[in-house]
Amino acid sequence: MVGQFATAAEAVGATVKRFTTLSEAITSLRELVSGRSVAASSLPDSVHSLIAPLHFASRNMLDQAEVGISFAQAGIAATGSVLLELSAPTERSATALPPVHVVLLRASTIVPNLAALRDTLQAALSANGGRYLSLITGPSRTADIERVLTIGVHGPKELYLLIIEGE
Amino acid sequence: MARDVINQKINDAFLRKALKNFAAAYPVARAKAFEGIDFEELRGRIAAFKKEGLGQLPELVEEFRASAEQAGATVHLCTTPEDANRTILDIIRSKGADFLVKSKAMTSEEIELNHYLEKHDIRCLETDLGEWIIQLAGERPSHMVMPAIHKNREDVAELFSRETGKECPPDIPYLVQVARETLRSGFLTGQVGLSGANVAIADSGAIGIITNEGNGRLVTTLPQTHIALIGVEKIVPSLAEALDVIEILPKNATGQKITSYVSFIKGPTGGEGRELHIVLLDNGRLKLAADPDFSEALACVKCGACANVCPIYEIVGGHVFGHIYVGGIGLVLTPFFHGFDKAEEILKLCIGCRKCNEVCAAKIDIEGLIVDLRDKIKKPVGQKFLFGTLMKNRKLFHTALRAAYIAQKPFQGKGGRIRHLPLILNRETANRSLPPIAEKPFRDLILEQSESRVPSPQPREKVLFYSGCLADFVYPEMCQDTVESMEALGYEVSFPQKQTCCGIPARYSGEMEVARDMARINMEVLLEEEADFVVTICPTCTMSIKHDFPKLLAGEPAWREKAELLASKTFNFSELAARKAGTGDIRMGSGNGEMQTVTYHDACHLKRGCGVHEEPRKVLRELVGVEIAEMTDCDKCCGFGGSYAIKYPEISQEVLKNKMENIAATGAKTVAVDCPGCKLQVEEGLEAGGTGITVEHSASLLARRLKKG
Repeated sequence: MVGQFATAAEAVGATVKRFTTLSEAITSLRELVSGRSVAASSLPDSVHSLIAPLHFASRNMLDQAEVGISFAQAGIAATGSVLLELSAPTERSATALPPVHVVLLRASTIVPNLAALRDTLQAALSANGGRYLSLITGPSRTADIERVLTIGVHGPKELYLLIIEGE
Repeated sequence: MARDVINQKINDAFLRKALKNFAAAYPVARAKAFEGIDFEELRGRIAAFKKEGLGQLPELVEEFRASAEQAGATVHLCTTPEDANRTILDIIRSKGADFLVKSKAMTSEEIELNHYLEKHDIRCLETDLGEWIIQLAGERPSHMVMPAIHKNREDVAELFSRETGKECPPDIPYLVQVARETLRSGFLTGQVGLSGANVAIADSGAIGIITNEGNGRLVTTLPQTHIALIGVEKIVPSLAEALDVIEILPKNATGQKITSYVSFIKGPTGGEGRELHIVLLDNGRLKLAADPDFSEALACVKCGACANVCPIYEIVGGHVFGHIYVGGIGLVLTPFFHGFDKAEEILKLCIGCRKCNEVCAAKIDIEGLIVDLRDKIKKPVGQKFLFGTLMKNRKLFHTALRAAYIAQKPFQGKGGRIRHLPLILNRETANRSLPPIAEKPFRDLILEQSESRVPSPQPREKVLFYSGCLADFVYPEMCQDTVESMEALGYEVSFPQKQTCCGIPARYSGEMEVARDMARINMEVLLEEEADFVVTICPTCTMSIKHDFPKLLAGEPAWREKAELLASKTFNFSELAARKAGTGDIRMGSGNGEMQTVTYHDACHLKRGCGVHEEPRKVLRELVGVEIAEMTDCDKCCGFGGSYAIKYPEISQEVLKNKMENIAATGAKTVAVDCPGCKLQVEEGLEAGGTGITVEHSASLLARRLKKG
């Protein structure tokens, strides 16, 4: 299913990298960032401590961040999509404003198709209070001028999906 | 529709190329997107839950309102566009704002929100690239999903140069980057954001938004206040139904498996000061949902597929083929959302090919609804006489057709074809070449031959031949061939003399009462004589008998029962012929048996009106013994559409040109068809092009093959 996920995601312009451990993925993430300023949505503590040394853009200047980092709740193999719960506007900004978006994803959370994600989505939408869920598939795109596919209109121009297959 | 506007679109070379390329690319992308998915099952499910939901729409609205408010949103149910506009203005003003940043919402186009707000000194900024282009140009979308499909890169460069004050080259990646940079400040400074929604979920109060560019996420994230303007018909009971809509919509709209972004938003997020206002738009929907005849139209998920496959849209685009909502469903929704006066002209533009029905995500009978709506619009002067008096009286009608034979004589050119149609002396028909009305219609020919026809040696299945007017009066030899082939295939054939027009021209012109009378007359004639089958060689007639007669007379139980009986035994020629393939009933002759290659054109009403497309090929391969070189878009309309070719000759001719190209590309010297209307249209195109390619009804090809040696 990871292979299918990768194929589908690459078909829509995402870059997929596969790793065994989280620390390998983080090493790759650091290389990707290579000194640029970052913004991150809420990350598991284990991840957050590993990326703490990166240069974070200030919270009220998220439009200046160059790379957004997030951790997906789930993936969809059929379409190469990732599910992010981003119920705080700053978390969404971190994944929507920077030109580059890097998503960490555990292979064990990949489901075959959209319908198989129903219970996860339902649980999130049934919880009390406001919720904002995003399914993200490939970089931002448009074909509004002469139907020519062009990448990177308003959202990220580059989408990296770092898959952790072990642990 | 004004002729000059139609001609302007026909002569717009960029528009034509853009739409033609899209028409060619779309089916390929769509098929790929649906790989591994049972489209029929999925849309069947959507049709079912939409139908159920529309039946209880007021309850769904209340359930959604309660759930959304529970989640912290404020819900406003607005009856009219004015209500919705005012509500939105009030929300913006209550925030002390004077600037609205927007992502794409067809509902906003529907209520002409920008126009209203700008009158009240609120600046609006469209951020969907296509919508922004349209906003800068001061136009309206020509496609529901690709609003600026009619604009080329030069147009866009000019608009962007004017807006930004910087010279923008006509380079697409450059222009997209200009949009990114220019609109970014709009997102960051917008005080209030407005979006539409593709779906709203009653049990959780969440809404779902599908976008590609990422502007939808920014509009619903950066401004403190988010307004979602949503048609009430978008409400579905639960997440399961919402996911079906999200599954089908991008695949059907643009051939994408899924869009870049699908967002589910439930209540305001971000704490203090954040607000979510959901403006539910009625604008005739609640009334329409309760309309037994037309509520189906509200099942639409707004994917735009009906426009994507429409042969007329491909020629004229959405500024002609629609009002604010475009494409087939746009024609249907316009009278309910914007009034019948806005719909009168556009409802006539549908050629009736039913291609839209085949792809509709909610399985809506779009073409059927368009035809039914024509009953409700103003009819042209003279139409009442034509249908009401002339066609209802068979003898009078047939006498008029016979008189036409005499009248046309002076206009017949080489090969007997009519070069100048005496009745329609206008510019567009001047170059048309039409076959003449025959000297003797088939109904007379068969009377002369009845003596010589061989009585059956043993009992055979009896078939009543319903020829249709066009074959009877223009192609009597096609009728003759039908009788000969049917007899050679082992059927006993008889032709009821009192048969008359099936009523389709009346129905298509909105004369439903006349269509009902025609149905009753033909039913009596065709049920009077004992027979196993009724055979037709015109699929429009078959469709009329099988589908329209029962529908037209649904309210009259005695007639409905007869209609259903007749429907159950009426078939197209190819269906009755194909069932004899491989049986011992066939009397093979020594006729023209040399192998040759033909190409096959599927008549719209045969393929989509009757669901028949394999049988004709079986007849050609197994009975006629020819190879078939399939053409591209073999089931796409030829542009005939009955009176359409006369009402809109300029459009009809353009549709025909596409067919000519596809035929020529096969290299076949014969085009086989199962419809006299298609034969008339395609033959005209081939003759005008001097191609030497002939068009034959399958019945004629078979008759030649089975002819006694």
